[in-house]
Amino acid sequence: MNNATNNATNNAITAGAWISGSDAPEKTHLTIGFMPLTDCASLILACELGLDKKYGLNITLSREASWSALRDKLVLGELDAAHSLYSMIYGTHLGLGNLQKNPMAILMGLNHNGQAITLSNQLRDQGVTNGTTLKRQTDKNQRQLTFAHTYPTGTHAMWLYYWLAAHDINPLTDVQTVAVPPQHMGSIMRCGDLDGFCGGEPWNARAIHEDTGFTAMTSQAIWNDHPEKVLATRYSFIERYPKTARALISALLEASRHADTYRHKEDFAALIIEKANIDAPAQLVAQRMTGRYENGLGKIWQDKYPLKFFDDGQVNYPHYAHGVWFLTQFYRWGLLEQEPDYLAVSKEINQVPLYCEVARYLGVSIPEPVSSITLFDGIKFDSASASAYSNHFSIRARETAAI
Amino acid sequence: MQTILIIDNENERASWLKASLELSGFTVLPPLRWQDVNENRLREAKVDVILVDTNAPERDTLEHISLMSGALEKPVVVLGGKNDPAHIQSAIRAGVSAYITHHVAREDLSGIIQVASARFAEFKRLRDELRHARQELVERKSIEQAKGILMTEQRINEAEAHARMRKLAMNKGKRMAEIAEAIILTHELENPGNKK
Repeated sequence: MNNATNNATNNAITAGAWISGSDAPEKTHLTIGFMPLTDCASLILACELGLDKKYGLNITLSREASWSALRDKLVLGELDAAHSLYSMIYGTHLGLGNLQKNPMAILMGLNHNGQAITLSNQLRDQGVTNGTTLKRQTDKNQRQLTFAHTYPTGTHAMWLYYWLAAHDINPLTDVQTVAVPPQHMGSIMRCGDLDGFCGGEPWNARAIHEDTGFTAMTSQAIWNDHPEKVLATRYSFIERYPKTARALISALLEASRHADTYRHKEDFAALIIEKANIDAPAQLVAQRMTGRYENGLGKIWQDKYPLKFFDDGQVNYPHYAHGVWFLTQFYRWGLLEQEPDYLAVSKEINQVPLYCEVARYLGVSIPEPVSSITLFDGIKFDSASASAYSNHFSIRARETAAI
Repeated sequence: MQTILIIDNENERASWLKASLELSGFTVLPPLRWQDVNENRLREAKVDVILVDTNAPERDTLEHISLMSGALEKPVVVLGGKNDPAHIQSAIRAGVSAYITHHVAREDLSGIIQVASARFAEFKRLRDELRHARQELVERKSIEQAKGILMTEQRINEAEAHARMRKLAMNKGKRMAEIAEAIILTHELENPGNKK
């Protein structure tokens, strides 16, 4: 690892003027929050490779106990930035739940793909292997099933709700939903209190390893190359420390590029486990990080859309359309009572010009902005007609409220 | 005085807190362990303030319950923050949970809980008002729409349409908005493809 580390630093993109003279970061010591998940890898790598120092920063990583705690610390300024669930930042910005509106900023994407929906082995024993057979089981109405995600406005909630609804199961009325810390999902499922969950890795892999559940669907099968975790901060942070924000994006962009290479290295998983303090065997992290999947029902495959950290900059560009999609789901599930000005909200949060400035400087390619997405059920989302899209779903919150 | 629920897996800490808060005059329910937290338990508990530890990974569980069932939205006071009054202030202002240190003096703890719950109540009142105003707006729109349908279909004027809807509402013991919804739905049924 050490040799590789040195090489990586030597071969890295030439450090720019950010670190010296008038471009020096206004604030150099940063505390960045993260949750112990496989997809925090690029943050760990940024510090391991000294990329923070290269851009004049000194990053301290702070492992958080829950998304709520991470969110609160980010809002309160105890954290300067954080590894965050994409849509959690939207929920925080909009003041959903008990929050006030707290203007937030997404600086860049940290990863695509790499989450999954796990169903319990009890369900498997009743003949459930996928969404269609799950629907058959819920129709039998023997007992209400319970599914977990990780945070009410988070990505896992949105993947789970979308997947259930696509199989004609209303996540708000046909089943119970709860939020559970991902590291506890497996043991709660073993007790029989949980029938399935959507979460990050290595927790889906661990459920198979511990013989409590199987992977019914990967998140990338729901939406190929979907956005997932982002690097986020308060809007006031980028106003106050614009140069620091640029330096931070630089360091993380470079780390992201390396992470795509490192994820194939044998000892990378062990490094992530050690630094992030993840309670799972390294082989589980390594397998899914490199796209080697085993679903727990005997199917083994090399995934076409594995966890990605960089993908030539595709992962990191914070597309407005992605934010718009999450907003359509917020409205669909009643988290937003009124339709927002979709694009305007996305433009407030996703710092595309700032990102592009840094990407261009570092010579990272800037993709064409995404305008439409087709999810696994074949339904096309067009960012320009977001309102029509969010209103077209027949399974949604308002129908249930009216009854 | 307010009723407080402590959610904590550490018995000793929870008992100490309970005793300490009771001395300040709060009603404190028997501490709940995290694995026992669910919507029904919280509904039954009828609490004003919930007290949790900052290091509990299960805080997201509570977050989900309160977001999904508006009735259970309660101020959450989190123990284990910085020992800094300014920090507590800004947490309360931001609407995130109030953060207090484990080493807070009993008198301060009581004050913080009062402030946090007062602010929360104020925030909730403002939001409920907003929600109510929006609801009214939506209802007024559908009443106008239903009147329009009646006027066209029955060839009557606006006052007559209004009077008919009012009469129906009174006879059926329903609200005007509900009658309007029914008229709009019937209209949509009879004129498919002609939505809105």
